[in-house]
Amino acid sequence: MRARELAKPFPTVTLETDALVAAATMGERDLPGLVVLDKEGRPFTVVPASQVLRFVIPGYVQDDPHLARVYDEEAADRFCQKLAAVTIGDIIGTKRPDDYDHLPVVDADAKLVEVAAVMARNRSPLALVTEGDEPVGVIRIGTLLGKLLPTTAEQVPDALPDYPASSPDQP
Amino acid sequence: MITTLAIVAFLAAYILIATERIHRVAAAFWGAAAMVVLGQVTSESAFFSEETGIEWNVIFLLLGMMILVGVIKQTGAFEYLAIWSAKRARGKPFRVMVMLVVITAVASALLDNVTTVLLIAPVTLLVCDRIGAPAIPFLISEAMASNIGGAGTLIGDPPNIIIASRAGLSFNDFLLHMLPIVVVLLVVFIGLMKLMFGKQLVYDAERAADLMRLSEKEAIHDRRLLISSGVILAGVMVGFVTHSITGLDPSMVALLGAGAAVAVSRLEPRDYLADVEWSTLAFFAGLFVMVGGLVHTGIIADMGDWLTDRLGTNWLLGSTVLIWISGALSAIVDNIPYVATISPLVADLTHGASGAGPESLWWALALGADLGGNATAVGASANVVVIGIAARNGHRISFWTFTKYGLIVATVTIAVAWGYLALRYFALA
Repeated sequence: MRARELAKPFPTVTLETDALVAAATMGERDLPGLVVLDKEGRPFTVVPASQVLRFVIPGYVQDDPHLARVYDEEAADRFCQKLAAVTIGDIIGTKRPDDYDHLPVVDADAKLVEVAAVMARNRSPLALVTEGDEPVGVIRIGTLLGKLLPTTAEQVPDALPDYPASSPDQP
Repeated sequence: MITTLAIVAFLAAYILIATERIHRVAAAFWGAAAMVVLGQVTSESAFFSEETGIEWNVIFLLLGMMILVGVIKQTGAFEYLAIWSAKRARGKPFRVMVMLVVITAVASALLDNVTTVLLIAPVTLLVCDRIGAPAIPFLISEAMASNIGGAGTLIGDPPNIIIASRAGLSFNDFLLHMLPIVVVLLVVFIGLMKLMFGKQLVYDAERAADLMRLSEKEAIHDRRLLISSGVILAGVMVGFVTHSITGLDPSMVALLGAGAAVAVSRLEPRDYLADVEWSTLAFFAGLFVMVGGLVHTGIIADMGDWLTDRLGTNWLLGSTVLIWISGALSAIVDNIPYVATISPLVADLTHGASGAGPESLWWALALGADLGGNATAVGASANVVVIGIAARNGHRISFWTFTKYGLIVATVTIAVAWGYLALRYFALA
Protein backbone atom coordinates (compact mmCIF):
# COMPACT_ATOMS: atom_id res chain seq x y z
CA MET A 1 0.00 0.00 0.00
CA ARG A 2 1.21 3.52 -0.82
CA ALA A 3 0.79 6.81 1.01
CA ARG A 4 -1.63 8.24 -1.59
CA GLU A 5 -4.15 5.50 -0.81
CA LEU A 6 -4.41 6.58 2.83
CA ALA A 7 -4.19 10.35 2.32
CA LYS A 8 -7.34 12.32 3.10
CA PRO A 9 -8.12 16.06 3.04
CA PHE A 10 -7.27 17.69 6.35
CA PRO A 11 -7.84 21.12 7.96
CA THR A 12 -5.02 23.61 7.51
CA VAL A 13 -3.99 26.84 9.16
CA THR A 14 -1.41 29.50 8.35
CA LEU A 15 1.14 31.20 10.56
CA GLU A 16 -1.29 34.12 10.85
CA THR A 17 -4.26 32.02 11.98
CA ASP A 18 -5.61 32.98 15.38
CA ALA A 19 -4.30 30.39 17.86
CA LEU A 20 -7.62 30.23 19.67
CA VAL A 21 -9.43 29.33 16.43
CA ALA A 22 -6.86 26.65 15.67
CA ALA A 23 -7.09 25.19 19.18
CA ALA A 24 -10.88 25.24 19.10
CA THR A 25 -10.83 23.43 15.74
CA MET A 26 -8.63 20.70 17.17
CA GLY A 27 -10.89 20.39 20.18
CA GLU A 28 -14.20 20.27 18.35
CA ARG A 29 -13.03 17.92 15.60
CA ASP A 30 -10.86 15.77 17.88
CA LEU A 31 -7.74 16.36 15.77
CA PRO A 32 -4.25 15.44 17.02
CA GLY A 33 -2.76 18.45 15.24
CA LEU A 34 -3.09 20.76 12.26
CA VAL A 35 -1.18 21.30 9.04
CA VAL A 36 0.45 24.72 8.82
CA LEU A 37 0.86 26.28 5.37
CA ASP A 38 3.13 29.17 4.43
CA LYS A 39 2.07 32.23 2.43
CA GLU A 40 2.48 30.35 -0.84
CA GLY A 41 0.20 27.57 0.37
CA ARG A 42 3.06 25.08 0.76
CA PRO A 43 3.33 22.94 3.88
CA PHE A 44 5.36 24.74 6.52
CA THR A 45 5.06 22.26 9.38
CA VAL A 46 2.59 20.37 11.55
CA VAL A 47 1.50 21.82 14.88
CA PRO A 48 0.61 19.00 17.30
CA ALA A 49 -2.05 19.70 19.93
CA SER A 50 0.54 19.00 22.65
CA GLN A 51 2.56 21.99 21.45
CA VAL A 52 -0.45 24.22 21.98
CA LEU A 53 -0.72 22.84 25.53
CA ARG A 54 2.96 23.53 26.17
CA PHE A 55 2.33 27.14 25.16
CA VAL A 56 -0.77 27.48 27.30
CA ILE A 57 0.53 25.90 30.50
CA PRO A 58 3.21 28.06 32.16
CA GLY A 59 6.71 26.58 32.14
CA TYR A 60 6.93 26.67 35.93
CA VAL A 61 3.84 24.48 36.21
CA GLN A 62 5.36 22.03 33.73
CA ASP A 63 8.55 22.05 35.87
CA ASP A 64 6.72 21.50 39.15
CA PRO A 65 3.67 19.22 38.84
CA HIS A 66 2.62 20.01 42.44
CA LEU A 67 1.67 23.50 41.30
CA ALA A 68 -0.89 22.33 38.74
CA ARG A 69 -3.10 21.15 41.61
CA VAL A 70 -3.37 24.51 43.39
CA TYR A 71 -5.27 26.29 40.59
CA ASP A 72 -9.01 26.80 40.45
CA GLU A 73 -11.15 26.25 37.34
CA GLU A 74 -11.04 29.92 36.53
CA ALA A 75 -7.29 29.71 36.10
CA ALA A 76 -7.70 27.15 33.32
CA ASP A 77 -9.95 29.62 31.47
CA ARG A 78 -7.35 32.33 31.94
CA PHE A 79 -4.58 30.12 30.57
CA CYS A 80 -6.65 29.51 27.46
CA GLN A 81 -7.24 33.23 27.09
CA LYS A 82 -3.53 33.49 26.29
CA LEU A 83 -4.38 31.95 22.94
CA ALA A 84 -6.71 34.80 22.03
CA ALA A 85 -3.85 37.25 21.74
CA VAL A 86 -1.49 35.11 19.65
CA THR A 87 -1.22 33.40 16.28
CA ILE A 88 0.00 29.96 15.31
CA GLY A 89 3.26 31.63 14.26
CA ASP A 90 3.73 32.86 17.85
CA ILE A 91 3.36 29.31 19.13
CA ILE A 92 5.60 27.45 16.72
CA GLY A 93 7.97 30.23 15.65
CA THR A 94 8.06 31.65 12.17
CA LYS A 95 11.53 30.44 11.23
CA ARG A 96 11.32 27.78 8.57
CA PRO A 97 13.21 24.63 9.52
CA ASP A 98 16.58 24.65 7.73
CA ASP A 99 16.35 21.01 6.91
CA TYR A 100 13.49 19.62 4.84
CA ASP A 101 13.77 16.47 6.94
CA HIS A 102 12.21 18.40 9.80
CA LEU A 103 8.90 18.41 7.92
CA PRO A 104 6.68 15.33 8.21
CA VAL A 105 6.20 15.19 4.44
CA VAL A 106 6.18 12.03 2.33
CA ASP A 107 5.86 11.37 -1.35
CA ALA A 108 2.57 9.93 -2.60
CA ASP A 109 4.45 6.78 -3.64
CA ALA A 110 6.00 6.27 -0.19
CA LYS A 111 5.44 2.90 1.46
CA LEU A 112 3.77 2.81 4.85
CA VAL A 113 7.02 2.10 6.71
CA GLU A 114 8.47 5.26 5.15
CA VAL A 115 5.46 7.21 6.39
CA ALA A 116 5.87 5.69 9.85
CA ALA A 117 9.59 6.56 9.88
CA VAL A 118 8.87 10.19 9.01
CA MET A 119 6.21 10.46 11.72
CA ALA A 120 8.49 8.85 14.31
CA ARG A 121 11.47 11.04 13.41
CA ASN A 122 9.40 14.22 13.61
CA ARG A 123 7.27 13.06 16.56
CA SER A 124 4.31 14.11 14.48
CA PRO A 125 0.81 12.66 14.70
CA LEU A 126 0.28 13.57 11.03
CA ALA A 127 2.15 13.07 7.78
CA LEU A 128 1.62 15.27 4.75
CA VAL A 129 1.44 13.51 1.39
CA THR A 130 2.55 15.37 -1.74
CA GLU A 131 3.00 14.52 -5.37
CA GLY A 132 5.76 16.79 -6.62
CA ASP A 133 4.65 20.18 -5.30
CA GLU A 134 0.97 19.25 -5.30
CA PRO A 135 -0.65 18.36 -1.96
CA VAL A 136 -2.48 15.03 -1.96
CA GLY A 137 -3.70 14.86 1.63
CA VAL A 138 -2.78 13.91 5.16
CA ILE A 139 -2.36 10.59 6.96
CA ARG A 140 -3.29 10.42 10.63
CA ILE A 141 -1.25 8.20 12.93
CA GLY A 142 -4.25 6.04 13.90
CA THR A 143 -5.05 5.35 10.26
CA LEU A 144 -1.44 4.45 9.59
CA LEU A 145 -1.19 2.04 12.52
CA GLY A 146 -4.41 0.33 11.49
CA LYS A 147 -2.99 -0.39 8.04
CA LEU A 148 0.61 -0.94 9.08
CA LEU A 149 -0.16 -3.72 11.54
CA PRO A 150 -2.99 -5.71 9.93
CA THR A 151 -1.71 -9.07 11.16
CA THR A 152 -1.32 -7.89 14.71
CA ALA A 153 -4.64 -6.09 14.53
CA GLU A 154 -6.40 -9.38 13.80
CA GLN A 155 -4.89 -10.86 16.95
CA VAL A 156 -6.20 -8.04 19.13
CA PRO A 157 -9.32 -8.95 21.09
CA ASP A 158 -12.55 -7.28 20.00
CA ALA A 159 -12.49 -4.87 22.88
CA LEU A 160 -9.57 -3.94 25.09
CA PRO A 161 -10.44 -3.28 28.72
CA ASP A 162 -11.38 0.31 29.45
CA TYR A 163 -9.52 2.64 31.80
CA PRO A 164 -10.91 2.58 34.41
CA ALA A 165 -12.32 -0.92 34.07
CA SER A 166 -16.11 -0.82 34.10
CA SER A 167 -17.75 -2.71 36.98
CA PRO A 168 -20.25 -5.48 36.16
CA ASP A 169 -23.27 -3.48 37.38
CA GLN A 170 -22.41 -0.56 35.12
CA PRO A 171 -24.03 -0.47 31.70
CA MET B 1 61.69 21.10 40.23
CA ILE B 2 58.97 18.56 40.98
CA THR B 3 57.51 20.94 43.56
CA THR B 4 57.39 23.75 41.01
CA LEU B 5 55.72 21.45 38.47
CA ALA B 6 53.13 20.42 41.05
CA ILE B 7 52.34 24.06 41.86
CA VAL B 8 52.06 24.89 38.14
CA ALA B 9 49.77 21.88 37.61
CA PHE B 10 47.60 23.00 40.53
CA LEU B 11 47.34 26.54 39.19
CA ALA B 12 46.53 25.25 35.69
CA ALA B 13 43.77 23.02 37.03
CA TYR B 14 42.44 25.85 39.20
CA ILE B 15 42.32 28.20 36.22
CA LEU B 16 40.46 25.55 34.23
CA ILE B 17 37.93 25.21 37.07
CA ALA B 18 37.53 28.97 37.42
CA THR B 19 37.20 29.70 33.71
CA GLU B 20 35.05 26.63 33.01
CA ARG B 21 36.94 26.03 29.78
CA ILE B 22 36.39 22.34 30.48
CA HIS B 23 33.91 20.76 32.89
CA ARG B 24 35.00 21.33 36.47
CA VAL B 25 34.97 17.61 37.23
CA ALA B 26 37.41 16.97 34.38
CA ALA B 27 39.58 19.88 35.53
CA ALA B 28 39.68 18.62 39.14
CA PHE B 29 40.45 15.07 37.98
CA TRP B 30 43.16 16.44 35.73
CA GLY B 31 44.71 18.31 38.68
CA ALA B 32 44.43 15.23 40.91
CA ALA B 33 46.04 13.03 38.24
CA ALA B 34 48.90 15.51 37.85
CA MET B 35 49.54 15.34 41.60
CA VAL B 36 49.62 11.54 41.45
CA VAL B 37 51.98 11.51 38.45
CA LEU B 38 54.27 14.05 40.14
CA GLY B 39 54.47 11.92 43.25
CA GLN B 40 52.68 14.34 45.58
CA VAL B 41 49.79 11.96 46.25
CA THR B 42 49.68 8.25 47.04
CA SER B 43 46.67 6.01 47.55
CA GLU B 44 47.41 6.16 51.27
CA SER B 45 47.37 9.97 51.40
CA ALA B 46 44.44 10.32 48.97
CA PHE B 47 42.07 7.87 50.62
CA PHE B 48 43.12 7.66 54.27
CA SER B 49 44.88 10.87 55.30
CA GLU B 50 42.78 13.30 57.33
CA GLU B 51 45.07 16.20 56.40
CA THR B 52 45.71 15.70 52.71
CA GLY B 53 43.13 13.13 51.60
CA ILE B 54 39.55 13.10 50.38
CA GLU B 55 37.25 14.45 53.10
CA TRP B 56 34.84 11.55 53.17
CA ASN B 57 32.80 13.26 55.87
CA VAL B 58 32.10 16.12 53.46
CA ILE B 59 31.21 13.83 50.56
CA PHE B 60 28.92 11.56 52.56
CA LEU B 61 27.26 14.46 54.34
CA LEU B 62 26.41 15.93 50.95
CA LEU B 63 25.25 12.56 49.62
CA GLY B 64 23.00 11.96 52.63
CA MET B 65 21.43 15.41 52.44
CA MET B 66 20.89 15.12 48.67
CA ILE B 67 18.99 11.86 49.13
CA LEU B 68 16.96 13.34 51.96
CA VAL B 69 16.07 16.33 49.79
CA GLY B 70 15.08 13.95 46.98
CA VAL B 71 12.43 12.50 49.29
CA ILE B 72 11.29 15.77 50.87
CA LYS B 73 10.70 17.50 47.55
CA GLN B 74 8.16 14.82 46.60
CA THR B 75 5.88 16.01 49.42
CA GLY B 76 4.86 19.38 47.93
CA ALA B 77 5.54 21.00 51.33
CA PHE B 78 7.53 23.83 49.77
CA GLU B 79 4.76 24.74 47.39
CA TYR B 80 2.26 24.62 50.23
CA LEU B 81 4.38 26.81 52.47
CA ALA B 82 5.13 29.40 49.78
CA ILE B 83 1.50 29.82 48.70
CA TRP B 84 0.25 29.78 52.28
CA SER B 85 2.69 32.53 53.25
CA ALA B 86 1.86 34.61 50.16
CA LYS B 87 -1.80 34.40 51.13
CA ARG B 88 -0.95 35.39 54.70
CA ALA B 89 0.70 38.47 53.18
CA ARG B 90 -2.69 39.19 51.51
CA GLY B 91 -0.98 39.43 48.12
CA LYS B 92 0.85 42.66 48.98
CA PRO B 93 3.99 42.34 46.83
CA PHE B 94 6.66 43.49 49.28
CA ARG B 95 5.19 41.45 52.12
CA VAL B 96 5.01 38.42 49.83
CA MET B 97 8.63 38.99 48.86
CA VAL B 98 9.68 39.14 52.51
CA MET B 99 7.80 35.92 53.28
CA LEU B 100 9.35 34.07 50.34
CA VAL B 101 12.82 35.38 51.15
CA VAL B 102 12.55 34.27 54.78
CA ILE B 103 11.33 30.81 53.71
CA THR B 104 14.23 30.58 51.26
CA ALA B 105 16.80 31.64 53.84
CA VAL B 106 15.51 29.21 56.48
CA ALA B 107 15.30 26.35 53.99
CA SER B 108 18.81 27.12 52.72
CA ALA B 109 20.15 26.85 56.24
CA LEU B 110 18.74 23.31 56.42
CA LEU B 111 19.12 22.15 52.81
CA ASP B 112 21.47 22.87 49.98
CA ASN B 113 21.06 26.28 48.30
CA VAL B 114 20.54 25.06 44.77
CA THR B 115 17.81 22.64 45.79
CA THR B 116 16.12 25.39 47.75
CA VAL B 117 15.97 27.80 44.83
CA LEU B 118 14.90 24.99 42.48
CA LEU B 119 11.94 24.41 44.77
CA ILE B 120 11.04 28.03 45.51
CA ALA B 121 11.49 29.58 42.04
CA PRO B 122 8.58 27.86 40.22
CA VAL B 123 6.07 28.69 42.97
CA THR B 124 7.42 32.24 43.06
CA LEU B 125 6.70 32.62 39.35
CA LEU B 126 3.18 31.38 39.96
CA VAL B 127 2.63 33.83 42.82
CA CYS B 128 4.05 36.74 40.80
CA ASP B 129 1.80 35.86 37.86
CA ARG B 130 -1.16 35.87 40.18
CA ILE B 131 -0.48 39.16 41.95
CA GLY B 132 0.78 40.85 38.79
CA ALA B 133 4.21 41.58 40.27
CA PRO B 134 7.48 41.53 38.31
CA ALA B 135 9.17 38.19 38.93
CA ILE B 136 12.77 39.31 38.49
CA PRO B 137 13.15 41.18 41.82
CA PHE B 138 11.65 38.19 43.63
CA LEU B 139 13.95 35.68 41.97
CA ILE B 140 17.10 37.77 42.49
CA SER B 141 16.18 38.27 46.15
CA GLU B 142 15.63 34.55 46.65
CA ALA B 143 18.99 33.61 45.15
CA MET B 144 20.67 36.08 47.48
CA ALA B 145 18.62 34.95 50.47
CA SER B 146 19.67 31.36 49.84
CA ASN B 147 23.34 32.40 49.93
CA ILE B 148 22.83 34.41 53.13
CA GLY B 149 20.70 31.76 54.85
CA GLY B 150 23.06 28.98 53.80
CA ALA B 151 25.85 30.71 55.72
CA GLY B 152 24.01 30.13 58.98
CA THR B 153 24.66 26.43 59.52
CA LEU B 154 27.30 23.79 58.94
CA ILE B 155 25.17 22.09 56.31
CA GLY B 156 23.81 25.24 54.62
CA ASP B 157 26.62 25.84 52.16
CA PRO B 158 29.38 23.49 50.91
CA PRO B 159 32.19 25.90 51.98
CA ASN B 160 30.89 25.63 55.56
CA ILE B 161 31.06 21.83 55.39
CA ILE B 162 34.68 22.02 54.21
CA ILE B 163 35.58 24.59 56.89
CA ALA B 164 33.92 22.51 59.62
CA SER B 165 35.82 19.45 58.52
CA ARG B 166 39.20 21.19 58.25
CA ALA B 167 38.82 23.21 61.46
CA GLY B 168 37.11 20.55 63.53
CA LEU B 169 34.08 22.79 64.11
CA SER B 170 30.74 21.28 65.08
CA PHE B 171 27.18 21.96 63.95
CA ASN B 172 26.61 23.79 67.23
CA ASP B 173 29.71 25.95 66.70
CA PHE B 174 28.11 27.20 63.51
CA LEU B 175 24.79 27.78 65.26
CA LEU B 176 26.50 29.82 67.97
CA HIS B 177 28.86 31.81 65.77
CA MET B 178 27.26 32.06 62.34
CA LEU B 179 23.51 31.93 62.90
CA PRO B 180 23.26 35.15 64.99
CA ILE B 181 24.98 37.25 62.34
CA VAL B 182 23.02 35.55 59.57
CA VAL B 183 19.77 36.59 61.26
CA VAL B 184 21.05 40.18 61.43
CA LEU B 185 22.17 40.00 57.80
CA LEU B 186 18.75 38.78 56.76
CA VAL B 187 17.10 41.79 58.40
CA VAL B 188 19.63 44.09 56.71
CA PHE B 189 18.98 42.34 53.40
CA ILE B 190 15.22 42.85 53.73
CA GLY B 191 15.91 46.55 54.22
CA LEU B 192 18.06 46.55 51.09
CA MET B 193 15.29 44.77 49.17
CA LYS B 194 12.91 47.60 50.06
CA LEU B 195 15.41 50.17 48.80
CA MET B 196 16.32 48.29 45.62
CA PHE B 197 12.95 46.88 44.55
CA GLY B 198 10.30 48.75 46.57
CA LYS B 199 9.25 51.05 43.72
CA GLN B 200 8.73 48.15 41.32
CA LEU B 201 6.22 46.45 43.61
CA VAL B 202 2.71 47.80 43.22
CA TYR B 203 -0.29 46.35 45.02
CA ASP B 204 -3.28 45.41 42.87
CA ALA B 205 -6.31 44.41 44.96
CA GLU B 206 -7.98 42.57 42.08
CA ARG B 207 -4.87 40.48 41.37
CA ALA B 208 -4.38 39.82 45.06
CA ALA B 209 -7.86 38.29 45.07
CA ASP B 210 -6.64 35.88 42.36
CA LEU B 211 -3.90 34.75 44.71
CA MET B 212 -6.35 34.14 47.52
CA ARG B 213 -8.24 31.68 45.30
CA LEU B 214 -5.27 29.32 45.09
CA SER B 215 -5.67 26.16 47.10
CA GLU B 216 -2.31 25.46 48.71
CA LYS B 217 -3.56 22.30 50.42
CA GLU B 218 -3.86 20.66 47.01
CA ALA B 219 -0.06 20.84 46.63
CA ILE B 220 0.27 18.12 49.23
CA HIS B 221 -1.00 14.82 47.91
CA ASP B 222 0.77 12.40 50.22
CA ARG B 223 0.27 13.37 53.84
CA ARG B 224 1.91 10.21 55.12
CA LEU B 225 5.11 11.04 53.24
CA LEU B 226 4.96 14.65 54.41
CA ILE B 227 4.66 13.67 58.07
CA SER B 228 7.25 10.91 57.95
CA SER B 229 9.85 12.95 56.06
CA GLY B 230 9.18 15.95 58.32
CA VAL B 231 9.84 13.79 61.38
CA ILE B 232 13.02 12.43 59.79
CA LEU B 233 14.30 15.91 58.91
CA ALA B 234 13.64 17.04 62.48
CA GLY B 235 15.46 13.94 63.72
CA VAL B 236 18.43 14.73 61.51
CA MET B 237 18.59 18.27 62.92
CA VAL B 238 18.48 16.86 66.46
CA GLY B 239 21.25 14.45 65.44
CA PHE B 240 23.42 17.36 64.24
CA VAL B 241 22.84 19.35 67.42
CA THR B 242 23.48 16.42 69.78
CA HIS B 243 26.79 15.45 68.17
CA SER B 244 28.68 16.03 71.41
CA ILE B 245 26.41 13.55 73.22
CA THR B 246 25.99 10.88 70.55
CA GLY B 247 29.44 11.18 68.98
CA LEU B 248 27.83 10.82 65.55
CA ASP B 249 29.46 12.98 62.90
CA PRO B 250 27.16 15.02 60.63
CA SER B 251 27.90 12.67 57.74
CA MET B 252 26.66 9.68 59.74
CA VAL B 253 23.55 11.57 60.87
CA ALA B 254 22.77 12.59 57.28
CA LEU B 255 23.25 9.04 55.99
CA LEU B 256 21.04 7.62 58.73
CA GLY B 257 18.41 10.23 57.86
CA ALA B 258 18.66 9.42 54.16
CA GLY B 259 18.34 5.71 54.90
CA ALA B 260 15.29 6.27 57.07
CA ALA B 261 13.69 8.53 54.45
CA VAL B 262 14.26 5.95 51.73
CA ALA B 263 12.87 3.19 53.94
CA VAL B 264 9.63 4.97 54.83
CA SER B 265 9.00 6.77 51.54
CA ARG B 266 8.49 3.67 49.39
CA LEU B 267 9.83 5.72 46.50
CA GLU B 268 11.75 4.18 43.63
CA PRO B 269 15.55 4.70 43.55
CA ARG B 270 15.19 6.83 40.40
CA ASP B 271 13.05 9.28 42.42
CA TYR B 272 15.17 9.69 45.55
CA LEU B 273 18.47 9.47 43.68
CA ALA B 274 17.40 12.02 41.07
CA ASP B 275 18.66 14.88 43.25
CA VAL B 276 22.06 13.38 43.95
CA GLU B 277 24.56 15.47 42.04
CA TRP B 278 27.11 12.79 41.30
CA SER B 279 29.23 15.25 39.34
CA THR B 280 29.47 17.52 42.40
CA LEU B 281 30.57 14.62 44.60
CA ALA B 282 33.17 13.56 42.03
CA PHE B 283 34.35 17.17 41.78
CA PHE B 284 34.84 17.31 45.55
CA ALA B 285 36.86 14.08 45.51
CA GLY B 286 39.15 15.36 42.73
CA LEU B 287 39.47 18.73 44.41
CA PHE B 288 40.51 17.26 47.75
CA VAL B 289 43.19 15.14 46.11
CA MET B 290 44.40 18.15 44.13
CA VAL B 291 44.58 20.38 47.21
CA GLY B 292 46.16 17.53 49.24
CA GLY B 293 48.93 17.37 46.64
CA LEU B 294 49.50 21.11 46.95
CA VAL B 295 49.69 20.85 50.74
CA HIS B 296 52.22 18.03 50.33
CA THR B 297 54.51 20.29 48.28
CA GLY B 298 54.97 22.44 51.39
CA ILE B 299 53.95 25.69 49.69
CA ILE B 300 50.93 26.09 51.96
CA ALA B 301 53.15 25.73 55.05
CA ASP B 302 55.63 28.24 53.60
CA MET B 303 52.83 30.71 52.87
CA GLY B 304 51.49 30.14 56.38
CA ASP B 305 54.91 30.88 57.88
CA TRP B 306 55.25 33.99 55.76
CA LEU B 307 51.82 35.25 56.79
CA THR B 308 52.46 34.39 60.43
CA ASP B 309 55.63 36.50 60.33
CA ARG B 310 53.69 39.42 58.89
CA LEU B 311 50.52 39.11 60.96
CA GLY B 312 52.00 37.90 64.20
CA THR B 313 49.05 37.76 66.57
CA ASN B 314 47.18 40.57 64.87
CA TRP B 315 44.14 38.37 64.30
CA LEU B 316 41.87 41.33 63.63
CA LEU B 317 43.99 42.30 60.64
CA GLY B 318 44.01 38.66 59.55
CA SER B 319 40.21 38.39 59.81
CA THR B 320 39.72 41.69 58.00
CA VAL B 321 41.96 40.70 55.10
CA LEU B 322 40.45 37.22 54.95
CA ILE B 323 36.78 38.25 54.92
CA TRP B 324 37.24 40.88 52.21
CA ILE B 325 39.59 38.85 50.01
CA SER B 326 37.35 35.80 50.35
CA GLY B 327 34.33 37.93 49.46
CA ALA B 328 36.04 39.42 46.41
CA LEU B 329 37.37 36.10 45.12
CA SER B 330 34.12 34.23 45.75
CA ALA B 331 32.33 36.82 43.63
CA ILE B 332 34.46 35.82 40.67
CA VAL B 333 35.31 32.15 41.14
CA ASP B 334 33.50 29.20 42.64
CA ASN B 335 33.80 29.45 46.41
CA ILE B 336 34.16 25.67 46.87
CA PRO B 337 37.64 25.28 45.32
CA TYR B 338 38.64 28.59 46.89
CA VAL B 339 37.72 27.43 50.40
CA ALA B 340 39.19 23.97 49.81
CA THR B 341 42.51 25.63 48.86
CA ILE B 342 42.62 28.32 51.51
CA SER B 343 41.46 26.12 54.42
CA PRO B 344 44.84 24.38 54.87
CA LEU B 345 46.45 27.84 54.95
CA VAL B 346 44.07 29.04 57.67
CA ALA B 347 44.66 25.78 59.54
CA ASP B 348 48.38 26.51 59.36
CA LEU B 349 47.94 30.08 60.57
CA THR B 350 45.81 29.08 63.55
CA HIS B 351 47.85 25.99 64.41
CA GLY B 352 48.76 25.97 68.09
CA ALA B 353 46.84 29.19 68.77
CA SER B 354 43.63 29.27 70.75
CA GLY B 355 41.01 31.81 71.74
CA ALA B 356 38.56 34.09 69.98
CA GLY B 357 41.18 35.77 67.76
CA PRO B 358 42.44 32.72 65.86
CA GLU B 359 38.94 31.23 65.71
CA SER B 360 37.67 34.41 64.08
CA LEU B 361 39.74 33.57 60.99
CA TRP B 362 37.53 30.56 60.26
CA TRP B 363 34.37 32.63 60.60
CA ALA B 364 35.90 35.35 58.43
CA LEU B 365 36.60 32.76 55.76
CA ALA B 366 33.09 31.30 55.96
CA LEU B 367 31.34 34.69 55.91
CA GLY B 368 33.50 36.09 53.11
CA ALA B 369 33.13 32.99 50.91
CA ASP B 370 29.38 32.57 51.51
CA LEU B 371 28.38 36.23 51.20
CA GLY B 372 30.77 37.08 48.35
CA GLY B 373 28.81 34.73 46.11
CA ASN B 374 26.00 37.29 46.00
CA ALA B 375 28.13 39.91 44.26
CA THR B 376 27.83 38.68 40.69
CA ALA B 377 25.51 36.55 38.56
CA VAL B 378 28.12 33.76 38.50
CA GLY B 379 29.28 34.07 42.09
CA ALA B 380 27.15 31.21 43.40
CA SER B 381 25.45 28.16 41.93
CA ALA B 382 22.07 29.35 43.23
CA ASN B 383 22.39 32.57 41.19
CA VAL B 384 23.11 30.65 38.00
CA VAL B 385 20.19 28.27 38.60
CA VAL B 386 17.71 31.08 39.29
CA ILE B 387 18.80 32.98 36.19
CA GLY B 388 18.27 29.79 34.15
CA ILE B 389 14.77 29.20 35.53
CA ALA B 390 13.87 32.85 34.93
CA ALA B 391 15.06 32.66 31.31
CA ARG B 392 13.05 29.48 30.64
CA ASN B 393 9.95 31.31 31.80
CA GLY B 394 10.46 34.43 29.73
CA HIS B 395 12.17 36.64 32.35
CA ARG B 396 15.68 37.49 31.21
CA ILE B 397 18.07 38.47 34.00
CA SER B 398 21.28 39.74 32.42
CA PHE B 399 24.67 39.43 34.10
CA TRP B 400 24.66 43.14 34.90
CA THR B 401 21.07 43.25 36.08
CA PHE B 402 21.97 40.73 38.76
CA THR B 403 25.40 42.14 39.46
CA LYS B 404 24.30 45.75 40.01
CA TYR B 405 22.13 44.57 42.90
CA GLY B 406 24.58 41.85 43.94
CA LEU B 407 27.48 44.24 44.44
CA ILE B 408 25.40 46.36 46.81
CA VAL B 409 24.15 43.37 48.79
CA ALA B 410 27.56 41.66 49.00
CA THR B 411 29.38 44.84 50.03
CA VAL B 412 26.85 45.81 52.70
CA THR B 413 26.48 42.29 54.15
CA ILE B 414 30.25 41.68 54.26
CA ALA B 415 30.74 45.07 55.92
CA VAL B 416 28.12 44.20 58.56
CA ALA B 417 29.68 40.76 59.01
CA TRP B 418 33.12 42.36 59.44
CA GLY B 419 31.63 44.65 62.11
CA TYR B 420 30.27 41.56 63.86
CA LEU B 421 33.69 39.87 63.83
CA ALA B 422 35.43 42.98 65.12
CA LEU B 423 32.87 43.45 67.86
CA ARG B 424 32.35 39.88 69.02
CA TYR B 425 35.88 38.46 68.75
CA PHE B 426 37.97 41.53 69.52
CA ALA B 427 36.17 44.51 71.08
CA LEU B 428 33.98 42.39 73.37
CA ALA B 429 36.21 39.33 73.64
